[in-house]
Amino acid sequence: MTEEKKEEERKKRSTATEAAAKIGPMVKAMIASVLQARDEGKPIAYTFICCCYDEIMRAMDIVPHWVENYAGICGAKRDAQRFLEKAESESFSRSLCTYALCGLGFDAWREELGQMPPDAPWGGQVKPDVMLGSGQILCDPRNKWYQAAQHYMPNVPVYNVGLPWPPYENDYDYREVQGYYIKYIVEELRGLVAFLERHIGKKMDWDRLSQLIDLTDRTWNLIWETYELRRAVPSPMGTGDAMNTMVPIVFMMATQQAYDFFRELNEELRHKIANREGEIPDEKYRLIWGGGLPAWFALTDFNYFNSRGAVFPVETTYRMVEAVYNFDIDLSRISDPLEHIAWRWLKYWTYWYDKARKRPGSHPDVERLIQYIEDYKIDGIVMHEAFSCRTWHVGLIWQLNRLKEIYRDMPSLILESDIVDISSYNEADTRARIDAFIDTLEAIKSR
Amino acid sequence: MAEKVAGRGLATANKYYQDYGGRARELKKQGQRIMGYICALVPVEIISAAGFVPFRIKGDVNEPITKADSEMETIVCPLVRSCFDMSLKGKYEFLDGIVIPHACDSICRTYDVWKYTLNLPYSHLINMPHATGDSSLSFYRAELDTFKRSLSRFAGREISDESLTQTISLYNQNRAKVRELYELRKSSPPLISGAEVARLLVGVVGIPVEESTRLIDDVIEEVKQRGKVLPTKSARIMVVGAQIDNATFIDLIEDSGAWVVVDDLCPGAREFFSDVAVTPDPIDGIAERYLRGIYCGRTFREKRESYYEYLGQRFGHIGRFTKEFKVDGVVLYIYKYCDPFGFEVPAMKSYIESNGTPVLYLEDEYSMSTIGRLRTRIQAFLELLGSK
Repeated sequence: MTEEKKEEERKKRSTATEAAAKIGPMVKAMIASVLQARDEGKPIAYTFICCCYDEIMRAMDIVPHWVENYAGICGAKRDAQRFLEKAESESFSRSLCTYALCGLGFDAWREELGQMPPDAPWGGQVKPDVMLGSGQILCDPRNKWYQAAQHYMPNVPVYNVGLPWPPYENDYDYREVQGYYIKYIVEELRGLVAFLERHIGKKMDWDRLSQLIDLTDRTWNLIWETYELRRAVPSPMGTGDAMNTMVPIVFMMATQQAYDFFRELNEELRHKIANREGEIPDEKYRLIWGGGLPAWFALTDFNYFNSRGAVFPVETTYRMVEAVYNFDIDLSRISDPLEHIAWRWLKYWTYWYDKARKRPGSHPDVERLIQYIEDYKIDGIVMHEAFSCRTWHVGLIWQLNRLKEIYRDMPSLILESDIVDISSYNEADTRARIDAFIDTLEAIKSR
Repeated sequence: MAEKVAGRGLATANKYYQDYGGRARELKKQGQRIMGYICALVPVEIISAAGFVPFRIKGDVNEPITKADSEMETIVCPLVRSCFDMSLKGKYEFLDGIVIPHACDSICRTYDVWKYTLNLPYSHLINMPHATGDSSLSFYRAELDTFKRSLSRFAGREISDESLTQTISLYNQNRAKVRELYELRKSSPPLISGAEVARLLVGVVGIPVEESTRLIDDVIEEVKQRGKVLPTKSARIMVVGAQIDNATFIDLIEDSGAWVVVDDLCPGAREFFSDVAVTPDPIDGIAERYLRGIYCGRTFREKRESYYEYLGQRFGHIGRFTKEFKVDGVVLYIYKYCDPFGFEVPAMKSYIESNGTPVLYLEDEYSMSTIGRLRTRIQAFLELLGSK
């Protein structure tokens, strides 16, 4: 490792919670466990976050390798450019998802060398036994990435799970169509189980699957309850920390480790609230991270916000759970485990539909922002537009416009860079924009 | 009965191309209802059967994108941004509604932006799955039923199986005419230029299908009558990409000394070379065709035995076209921010090249400002083909 890289690694973001500080080693251990699984001959799957196959994989002892996570690590370590350039040399456009480009560049290089690329971050990304994509109503790369990866690993099979949810429409309620959505998702999950049994050579343990589903439900509830604690003034934990605590949510779901992590975080937040201990000593502005994945190489920007008196008690990004007891369906009464997963999935994505329908001109995404703004006593909105990702970064401007039209005009800031490609980022410019935004907040407060 | 198209075929096609939307505006004034849609994955048969004139929303490569940026991020596919920009600027003020398919992120993720900003009387998102297995087909079929019910409510009339069967027949006739047109491109030199075909096909997706079929027929007759008037050029080119809704790029290639003799584009061979099968329940045939019959990068097909077979499954039609149309070189022309096609490039390129056809890959931004750079690349590619 070069001295320059070591210097960059030293500039780590400081966390407000002890729990968030534990995440780095946890991720490192997670990557190491995949490398170890390879040595031990355990089955490994390339996987995406938020595809609801967590319990299925774990019930079958399949070791997940989260490709978005690995690309994010490369980005956070500021060591992604060489993999992006490798992908570009293979004729992939640099305007495509840079998680995918980083992963594809890595895979192409690894397969070309017959071994890990030199100084691969945290030991590297192993060649998998299977790749599990997904066809949702978002994220083309989840549908295309593994197909493209087969160009370098032609013998690694892909299963693309269809995981739609009903769109929010004016002329019909989603409940009118949810029946055939559930039927489809269940069939797709059943197909996934058959695919894994065929390629991994191990039968599904259905009892264990049910247990893991129950664990996941309980974990969802706990996460929701824990994050709701952040409503407190001063807020004990910000979005900077949540970009760490997303790890158990999206990479460790259906494990006792994830549940235990949030139990500890819950206790820690309760303790901080009891002692009126906020993320920063003098909380002046409460902001919402209202959309967009973070620039993984620039997480210290959250500390910069903190230095200007701003905290983020809430975010929409990676808060990909609701309390299942708030759904309009009792999941515990569903006996088929795959149907249970399907209903949880559908109810999550349609959770804000009813609320949005009650406010003229509203929309579920906007309604969620409004609810958080009120619950968490928010003064302003910050979003991030990552140029390479259309999935999470299209519609942000529109949401702000809708918010202004149907609710109120909130101070807002849209930062621009990327999730992985550091060449898109300018620290001085970013911080100047943050300064200007804080000045606006200050002017409003002093009116 | 639709109006008789006035004038000769190519001149009329050029008129519709230049004044895109003009005919729809006329029809609107005459009391017809116009339903806008984006992308060839919208089943126009259903829209027609509901009594609407389907109208493909297109962008304008000559018009700088200005208004769209106040609602839509610049990381969206530039063609979609241009379409939205033109809509905001009132170019398609005659629309009664809009139908958007789950085609790609740029189209699907902007659905709400279109819906809320244009505030048209009707809007609908067709949630098309990516995979093509039997469960996906059943789901998609149910989605089309939902769309049919929704549109029927808005139209205030039932969409009967009879009317669907009739519109299926009309669109199949239309597609057959386009295939007949493409036959005229097989000779050397071709009887019709690539730019003439592009203008015609872009123009006809903005007029009623009966008029479209008659116009294509007029063009075929006119071209046959004029005979071999086009000069011989150095190379025969196939253009592959997502959607090209203008003739500028085709003009560029043909002005550089080659003919564009076939394509895998929308509008183009991708959407006109597969028919809807006539089935007892017409929705079955429509679902099958739109999910499995259109070879678009956004659709995921299950892998066959070997990887090479899989490439053939995805890109075999391109290989067949290169042989049938005696193609010397393929240009992959893909817009920036196009994830479905961008991820295809290495595999597609290697498949075409493995069949002995050279490939030029170009990424563009849907802007006239890049013409100079593109011309240089095209000229260099044609020189390379000439030296072989």
